[in-house]
Amino acid sequence: MSLFSSLSVSASGMAAERSRAALLVENLANAETTRTPEGGPYRRKDAVFAAEPAASPFGSAFANAIGAEGTGVRVAEVIEDTSAPERRYLPGHPDAGPDGYVAFPHINPAEDMVDLMSASRNYEANVAAIAAVKDMISHSIDLLR
Amino acid sequence: MLDPVARSLERYMDLLATRQKLVASNIANAETPGYRTVDIDFESEFRGLVAGGQLRAVEVSGLEVNHDGNNVNLDREARLLAENGLRFQVAEALLKGQVQAVREAISGGGSG
Amino acid sequence: MVSPVGPIAPVTGPVAAPSTAASSPSGGFQSVFERAIAGVENLQQTADQGIERFLAGEGEELHSVAMATQKAELAFELFLQVRNKVVSAYQEIMRMQI
Repeated sequence: MSLFSSLSVSASGMAAERSRAALLVENLANAETTRTPEGGPYRRKDAVFAAEPAASPFGSAFANAIGAEGTGVRVAEVIEDTSAPERRYLPGHPDAGPDGYVAFPHINPAEDMVDLMSASRNYEANVAAIAAVKDMISHSIDLLR
Repeated sequence: MLDPVARSLERYMDLLATRQKLVASNIANAETPGYRTVDIDFESEFRGLVAGGQLRAVEVSGLEVNHDGNNVNLDREARLLAENGLRFQVAEALLKGQVQAVREAISGGGSG
Repeated sequence: MVSPVGPIAPVTGPVAAPSTAASSPSGGFQSVFERAIAGVENLQQTADQGIERFLAGEGEELHSVAMATQKAELAFELFLQVRNKVVSAYQEIMRMQI
């Protein structure tokens, strides 16, 4: 029944937002990290979402009709910020270069906080969608009583 | 055995379930770049004005598109979640009443 | 909703002409019954039409639909109960030894 597949659509939304939130939290925790195993300062990470039709036994023949089981989402890739790092003049710092500058992550904590709140709100919206669909299924079962 | 009203109620509930499924898809893709909000033309589908047997998903117009090409409005989707759910409950209650009435006619009111 | 079975028409024939006085009580009762059935049907139709208008989004209010549906259901239930009482009263009379 198609309503059940929309539960997995919402679940995919929750998973995607959770992944994104995890990356944002990592960014915030590493906003001042000047040293990484790969060398250089921490680079900001973000998730790129892509729409993905929920699993369905039908092929693309039905892709346009609503026989398809709804459109979920997945994290298509995790991208790293490739822009130049922020440089601050701190000659006494252990990671300072010969010119006295230290490379810091190019992260704006305020921005990532806002993104984190947005990811959290979207997560809750997906939870609400699951509750609503579950309700509908319950009421359909009611008809049998 | 049931009135034609029962058929209308069933179709109404079908459409609401489909609509809710699309709302769930919109919510899941609230941050997907390039994703456009989808819906069905509820009234036209209900009255049978749309040609063809399959329900058709349409892009919703009038929504603001952000810099990512995404136009999902969570407030709209949240409202629809609630509205679809309530309408579904109404239709289910009415449909139950129809079935109940037939059952009563069959049992003749219990003391017949 | 299934229409309830109507009463059987009274027997007409050779007995009919001289006994108009005798048949009018049963004729009167039958028409009461028929009016009751028509009333129930009517309420049912009104309720159904209200539902269709509500579903099509034609401005019917939910509470009106709910009330109309309840009225129709109550009328039907009442009719069933009255019919059952009439039938059992009839059966009781038929059992009486004269």
